[in-house]
Amino acid sequence: MFRTAILRSARQAARAAPRCQTPIARPVARSPLFQSKQITPTAYFQAVRCYSAHAGLGKDEVLGRIMDLLKNFDKVQDTSKLTADSHFSNDLGLDSLDTVEVVMAIEEEFSIEIPDKEADAIHSVKHAVDYILAQPDAH
Amino acid sequence: MARSGLQRDVLALYRQCMKAVQQKPIENRDNFRSFARSEFRHHLAVSKKDFGTIEYLIRKGRRQLEIYEDPGIRNISNK
Repeated sequence: MFRTAILRSARQAARAAPRCQTPIARPVARSPLFQSKQITPTAYFQAVRCYSAHAGLGKDEVLGRIMDLLKNFDKVQDTSKLTADSHFSNDLGLDSLDTVEVVMAIEEEFSIEIPDKEADAIHSVKHAVDYILAQPDAH
Repeated sequence: MARSGLQRDVLALYRQCMKAVQQKPIENRDNFRSFARSEFRHHLAVSKKDFGTIEYLIRKGRRQLEIYEDPGIRNISNK
């Protein structure tokens, strides 16, 4: 939330002053201490290095990557049942231990960390896609 | 699916094991992964009401993880 708000204000500031720098700014390392002080766009711009724009993940791309990952997972035997709505245990025949491995593979694929509690709640392809789309850090 | 605390402990331990696998040399990760898998699957038949056994196995698993986590251990035989 906070991050998107910052990005949005940064984008507006960049549009107002096109010479400033590239439109999107991604801070190199942001510590929580610093964040509160960087709310004003001008101060924000001086404190960051600008990288190219982050396009964000599309639903199709996320789905495709998760499907590929499941296709390559050795415990999924029947790939014909693999669809966007597949349930890990009901359709793909994975047990809870396999699900843990799938979720960890997803973590690795999108370079994020999923806390145990939320990892336990991911039971289907659809669920995983929704979760990844809700993560601003996923890429 | 509602899970009991014990079930979550087992899954958390499994996650820890799989994370530990990632720290091993890449060519031997498959060995470690299948070792961890077989250690868990070996006890698949334990009744879920057999709390004493499950708790014992979790403790045993944690100790084992501590031992195998050591970076000095670079490979494992695959039975």
